[in-house]
Amino acid sequence: MIRESIRRNLNPIAQLGPLTTFMIIFFGFPILVFFIYSFWTVQGWTIVRQWSLGNYFHAVASPVYRMLILRSVFIGLFTATLSVVVVYPLAYTLAFKIRRYRDLILFILMISLFSNYLVRIYAWRSILSTNGLVSVILMALGLADEPNSYLLYDWTGVVVTLLNVYLPFATLPIYSALLNIERSLTEAARDLGASPLRAFYEVTLPLSTSGVRVAFLFIFLLTAGDFVTPELVGGSGGRMIGNAIATQFGIVFNWPLGSAFAFTTILVIFLLLVAFLVGGRLLRPRR
Amino acid sequence: MTRHIVNAKNVTKHFGKVVALDDVTLDVKEGEFVTLLGPSGCGKTTFLRICAGLEQPTEGRVFIEGEDVTEVPPHKRPVNMVFQRWALFPHRNVFENISFGLMLRKRPPEEIERRVKEMLAMVKLEGYEERRISQLSGGEAQRVALVRSLILHPKVLLLDEPLASLDLKLRKGMQIELINIHRNLGTTFIYVTHDQEEALVMSDRIVVMNEGRIVQDGTPREIYQHPTTVFASNFIGEASLFKGQVAERDSEKVVVACDGLRIVCPGREDVSVGQRVWVSVRPEKIHMGPEGDVGRENSFPSEIVNVIFLGSMVRYQIELPSGELITVQQDLSDERPLHPLGAKVEIGWAKESSLLLTR
Repeated sequence: MIRESIRRNLNPIAQLGPLTTFMIIFFGFPILVFFIYSFWTVQGWTIVRQWSLGNYFHAVASPVYRMLILRSVFIGLFTATLSVVVVYPLAYTLAFKIRRYRDLILFILMISLFSNYLVRIYAWRSILSTNGLVSVILMALGLADEPNSYLLYDWTGVVVTLLNVYLPFATLPIYSALLNIERSLTEAARDLGASPLRAFYEVTLPLSTSGVRVAFLFIFLLTAGDFVTPELVGGSGGRMIGNAIATQFGIVFNWPLGSAFAFTTILVIFLLLVAFLVGGRLLRPRR
Repeated sequence: MTRHIVNAKNVTKHFGKVVALDDVTLDVKEGEFVTLLGPSGCGKTTFLRICAGLEQPTEGRVFIEGEDVTEVPPHKRPVNMVFQRWALFPHRNVFENISFGLMLRKRPPEEIERRVKEMLAMVKLEGYEERRISQLSGGEAQRVALVRSLILHPKVLLLDEPLASLDLKLRKGMQIELINIHRNLGTTFIYVTHDQEEALVMSDRIVVMNEGRIVQDGTPREIYQHPTTVFASNFIGEASLFKGQVAERDSEKVVVACDGLRIVCPGREDVSVGQRVWVSVRPEKIHMGPEGDVGRENSFPSEIVNVIFLGSMVRYQIELPSGELITVQQDLSDERPLHPLGAKVEIGWAKESSLLLTR
């Protein structure tokens, strides 16, 4: 009897154990270490174990870093929103309108993930540059008089690049959520008097929000913390907090300050999420 | 003279190479309860969906109240459908589901509230307005789906095997409820099922379908007593089937030879000697008596090889001298003892009970 209940409790522990241990050792523990660092300071090349809130003060009070944090959050939100809007029609078409070539198209979508992340960013830098593909097309269409590097070396470059790079991550959750919607639901809506567009709005859209939310969250979190893309295509207008953190860790050797930047950003994003959740709850009650 | 509310003319539907419907013409009278009966894949659901506007026929036209609606989209047709798995909106509660159609038509809230209440009362689900769909039992969900369509007063209600996922007792209860609703509202019902008993219970008229074509069309009684094809006689009710050739034919009788048995059928003109035919006999028409009890045109000594007790009646599987097995059904209302396995009996039936089928 007792053995049975022990075994029942042990089973999930046994199954989650390895992953949890891994996460605690290689993720939780380092995070804890850096959290402690963020309250210390640096002198020369050594970390001084002197407790102070100076780093955090610096992160919040300094206009430059404040701007970087806010800009990173903004870029994250903007890219996530744009991704969801752009990808939804694609996911919809794949889920409902295409049958024969569906797997092929999904495969093509996934192929981009096979190649190296860094290489793709370089590719985008080339596409967006003066005399790059974008410029050539715009000139051919007559929309531009001279070659120019639109979007490049600014926050717009970061958005465009990350939008393309993370496209599969945005498509899959929405596609998956749409697949789960029974076809007879939209048929019932149409039978009851809804035009195809209305049926989409009343049935398909609400039932796909779980997928949309996941996609949005994915892209937001992946983008807001990125530092490689802004390094290569961001220029000065596209510099993000990730770059500042990388600088503190890699060049300046001020790990405490870098850690403080990181945790301040985490706090800001956390507060944002809380605001969304609360706001969503407030907007929800209907009847 | 009741008019026809639905006319389907030469409706054909291809799905790629598959022919789902092959030149189907059907007329439905106003107020009728018509059932499309057939096995899976016979085209009955496809036909229903074409009436609803959810599919377009490859050829042919559909008319509702005299108007050609073949190209009219479903949201503009005066018909409504009850889906097999009910298709209730999971993200809305019972009230919102039922009022969906009225909401789309922008009816005033007081009217919507009143009509939803009426509908819920009609199916004995008062007070269910706030329930979530996931909280409903099968029977409750089925009734919500039903009134969701009925509340819009459609000219024709299309039902796609709506009772298929309910257990037996519930299904039988719902069959009666549907008959009552049909009688009270007078709406035309087009019902699709593969369950022949359901069709017999509820319909004014049954249309038997197979492989995309209409096999027979008539009242339940007509189809049961006078099936025109082997398929129809097999699909509706139980029957013993004999395959053979016409041995003799005159104005009074036709004798069919099957495997050494001579089966006597009523006389008819349209068969010729040597023609391959089938004879179908309903189990309740076959009499079983003690050995040697010969009294009818068709009489054969045989042995009981199986006894199937069904509560209010019993079915005996009988082995005829030719080795063929037939089924005899007896009512048990007078509590007579069951015949034992292995008993030798005399099987007989009247000439009129032999249904001669040519296809």
